Amino acid sequence: MNSLTLVPLLAAGGSNAAIVTFSIYIVGVMVLAWLSNRLLQSKSFLSEYFLGSRSLGVWAFALTFAATSSSGGSFIGFPSLVYTHGWIVALWIGSYMIVPIVSMGLLAKRINQVARKSGSITIPDVLRDRFESPVFGAIATGLIVFFMVFNLIAQFKGGSVILQTLLQDVPLFRQASHGLADMLHGVPILGGSEDKPGYLLCLLVFTVAVVVYTAYGGFRAVVWTDVMQGLVMVGGVALMLPLALWAVGGLGNATREMAQMTPPDKVKLELSVPDSVSETFNIASNSWLVQDDGDGRRVFRTAARAQILPGEKTATYRDDNGDLSPKIPGIEITYAKQVENLSPDQLGHDVTIRVLESKEYVNGAGRTGVYVTGPGPHASSDAGFLPFSLAVSFFFMWTFSGAGQPANMVRLMAFNNATTLRRSIFAVSIYYSLIYFPLVIIFCCARVLLPGWETESDRIMPEMAKVTTELVHMPWLAGLLVAAPFAAVMSTMDSFLLMISSAVVRDIYQRNINPEASEQTIKRLTYAATIAVGTIAMLAAVSPPQFLQDIIVFTGSGLSTSFLAPVALMLYWPRFNRQGALAGMLGGFATHVTLYTVGTLKSGKVDAYELFNFHPFMVGLFASFVFAIAVAYLTPPPPEHLVRKYFYKDAAR
Amino acid sequence: MPQPKPVVQPEYDPTYLNSLREAYVIIALFAIFCSWSIFVCYNFGYLSPGEQLSEISTVLGMPSWAFWGIGLPWLVVDVVAVWFCFFYMTADNLGEAHEGEDLAEQVAHLHEGEEARGE
Repeated sequence: MNSLTLVPLLAAGGSNAAIVTFSIYIVGVMVLAWLSNRLLQSKSFLSEYFLGSRSLGVWAFALTFAATSSSGGSFIGFPSLVYTHGWIVALWIGSYMIVPIVSMGLLAKRINQVARKSGSITIPDVLRDRFESPVFGAIATGLIVFFMVFNLIAQFKGGSVILQTLLQDVPLFRQASHGLADMLHGVPILGGSEDKPGYLLCLLVFTVAVVVYTAYGGFRAVVWTDVMQGLVMVGGVALMLPLALWAVGGLGNATREMAQMTPPDKVKLELSVPDSVSETFNIASNSWLVQDDGDGRRVFRTAARAQILPGEKTATYRDDNGDLSPKIPGIEITYAKQVENLSPDQLGHDVTIRVLESKEYVNGAGRTGVYVTGPGPHASSDAGFLPFSLAVSFFFMWTFSGAGQPANMVRLMAFNNATTLRRSIFAVSIYYSLIYFPLVIIFCCARVLLPGWETESDRIMPEMAKVTTELVHMPWLAGLLVAAPFAAVMSTMDSFLLMISSAVVRDIYQRNINPEASEQTIKRLTYAATIAVGTIAMLAAVSPPQFLQDIIVFTGSGLSTSFLAPVALMLYWPRFNRQGALAGMLGGFATHVTLYTVGTLKSGKVDAYELFNFHPFMVGLFASFVFAIAVAYLTPPPPEHLVRKYFYKDAAR
Repeated sequence: MPQPKPVVQPEYDPTYLNSLREAYVIIALFAIFCSWSIFVCYNFGYLSPGEQLSEISTVLGMPSWAFWGIGLPWLVVDVVAVWFCFFYMTADNLGEAHEGEDLAEQVAHLHEGEEARGE
């Protein structure tokens, strides 16, 4: 299929399908929260609110585990990576084949059993009870709150950006954004860039929806919405895969075409018209421009919205600092077939193009085959996208980082029996097989169908949904397909929100301040804490710190390096003691933070120092195990009654 | 003469023992599939610096290294998951949940401490 025939479809404008789907979806989660709240009335409040009374069955347990692990990155960032770097991303994500067996099977049965023996509800609870150490529980709570708060702010921002991306062409959304822009006019923090009102609107909608259903329904609402979200995600992929394959004429065609492609060059363009304009002339972001002046055809695509102001001849755009710049960023297509076939957009004026700067990809420029082999092209890294050491690091990281996440561990405490666990591990294995490998295929097809989205590769998922459904004359289906990303984001946000509020109410207030608080007090405090944490995260996300994606990676891997070794050893090693657990937790944390501090000082942004080319997660996890085992051996063995309680049959009770 | 009471050696919890055995198998499975994927992909799917190719051998439409190094092991893992989940992993009894017991113990200790101070 000629990819050029698709380009006009993109300009056909948005429909309200996405907003209708989103609204139906929100109504669905609210109904689930209401049902969950009714269950809360008849059960032990804290155990039900934070752990669903340890009664999750196969579907609920499997899908809440899968959905919590799949954040917005799975449907926005990951497709963007496949589109930008090609087939090698299959290796980058390849360890998801074994993630369910490892991250569920390694700890689940034992952590569930230990939590039942002690009556623990949260992860700090388990650690505190297992070692009879309030100090250890408090340190674990501190680490969870420290990492999770940053992560929650990042997720709120990520969710809002995704929603904004999905809705930006929807007429109703644009009207609402303009209305909000008028209201916020003159408020410095809230005004900001022209995209800010849309972002704030999405942030507000997302926050209200997630906080309301999480606070009202608790863990069970989160789990049930996860089930719905999990089904939406797999349904979206199952629909899009055949559409994408049909559109490219089969996967073999797409792969062979990708083998011919060469990466685009990054350019800065001067765009001008012969005579000054009387009215503002807009050149939209992602506009195709063609220069054909006898020296050969050159095809460009803009990566920012540019304007020629009244009385001017040259276009400018607002750069990251808010200044007007005449150097319009964009890309130049280098793949000969596309250069030949792509047509310019009709802009309404005769635009002259001058290339001010041109920068080739550092790895892969001018070489065919880079999109179907490793290490994959990269604009700025000489080693390419996935050199060998990083491939090994990611294989370890995705597998064991998931096992060490406290949000996942809590779920491992919530299933009802071992048969549920066995069926769930299998169900999640199949679920991930149906999600991740098909996503690689779909977005390899997208490279062929939709050229030039290196300008804004985070939009490739909604664009692909739009194009594939238009091709089969079912545009309404796009709404269902784009529901998958916001389902993924919400299922992660609600879990993190509940995790922080459980730390505040259970671990800080009930276990350290007022153990004899009445159930009514705990109930009120729980609702208040969930709403307060959500509101604070939203306010922080109004003007969030930079480098949020890096912060997400930092906090996710930091939690795993701090928690995996102490938790695994406390479950399986009777000789393990409090001192070893504390050393493992703080040793992993310190190593991880040190490597990030060194990396940040070297690069000037949140970055990891990769010792021996390995990700800090691997180095930190190794250090955590070494500290934990060494200190445990160097200190006295644990009290006999604890070993008997947690490792022996008929424990003395 | 009364017989001395036999010393009862405590037995390990079977759930603990089974979980430990399963954990060893899980680590071994990870090692096998990690080695398989990395070995195949790195040896057959990577270009040397400066190298380029315009044709690629495919299996089922995907580059052959991606099929043998990712697609096939992924399928095999799913089959192994059937064996592991339904034929190897044991359906152990996880016990009753002692809801609130940890908190009750904490409150009891608190009152013991108060009484001791009062004496």
